[in-house]
Amino acid sequence: MHIASGFLSPPVWAGAAVISGGALAASLALARRHLDDRRVPLMGVMGAFIFAAQMVNFPVLPGTSGHLGGGFLLGILLGAPLGVIVMASVLMVQSLLFQDGGVEALGANIFMMGVMPCLLGAAVRGLWLRPKPGAATYAVTLVLGILAVVAGATGVILLLWLSDSLPRSVSLAQAIGLMGGIHAVIGVVEGVVTAAVVKFVLTMRRDAVLGPLAADCAKGVTP
Amino acid sequence: MTSYNRRTLIVGIAIAVLIAGVVSYFASANPDGLEKAQEELGVAGPVHPAVEVPPVAFQEYNLKWIGEGFWSNAVAGVAGAAVVLAILLGVGRLLARGKAKASGAAGT
Repeated sequence: MHIASGFLSPPVWAGAAVISGGALAASLALARRHLDDRRVPLMGVMGAFIFAAQMVNFPVLPGTSGHLGGGFLLGILLGAPLGVIVMASVLMVQSLLFQDGGVEALGANIFMMGVMPCLLGAAVRGLWLRPKPGAATYAVTLVLGILAVVAGATGVILLLWLSDSLPRSVSLAQAIGLMGGIHAVIGVVEGVVTAAVVKFVLTMRRDAVLGPLAADCAKGVTP
Repeated sequence: MTSYNRRTLIVGIAIAVLIAGVVSYFASANPDGLEKAQEELGVAGPVHPAVEVPPVAFQEYNLKWIGEGFWSNAVAGVAGAAVVLAILLGVGRLLARGKAKASGAAGT
């Protein structure tokens, strides 16, 4: 779902860059205050995992593939601030070294695949941190996982529309319907994979997932 | 480094290498959701000035000198994952500086 170079108009990509830049700066400031050594290795390997997972396009509909976004997963496992830092790193490496995603579109891509899904993931983080997450937690994760991907896809269409990159012959609603429909299917995979990976990491490194970020402290879930 | 952190790195890197180095070779070559939607909507191509970054070492997810192939894809994928890992371990260490002991005992 990476927006390529040349599809966003300068005001649109600049606006997105300012918003994502601000979110990244705030994330770095929060992490500087709360991050401790215990969580750094998990942060690193999650970045490597998301990079790897995004290379794996799976078939969704005839002639169409999709790949994991990962921002939603990061929001659950690391919280929004660390998630945004990890996702921004992945997207920068993809854009600068692998020609995947336009350089000027970085801000837009970081928002749609990082900031927004990380915030949605952080919203379910509390459910997973309870002693025994049950069926409801899985259900909410699946639904919000789909929503995260569809919202990102819809956001991308909106940015393309604002940039005058959509042909005059198609209506905005038509474009959102097509893009959202494809990504609802991709979102199901996103939700299922997210729940599986969260379960795996919680089993392995519950202490690193908990972490002392401010939001967790407030909820009293810091170990 | 605690043995816990070492184990996280080993298991995490093993999984990333397996996915980036092996599984990714078998990925679907069909256009992804956005590319497909642009195709169907009739988005002709970039209408704004594009910012081209010349390929340094990688052409998409292959080594630029070799072209497509299993090993080319594997080396490019593992190298990309390694760059992300290195950036995050470096940035993470800087951000965590001075707080290692503060909560180091918690959760053990």
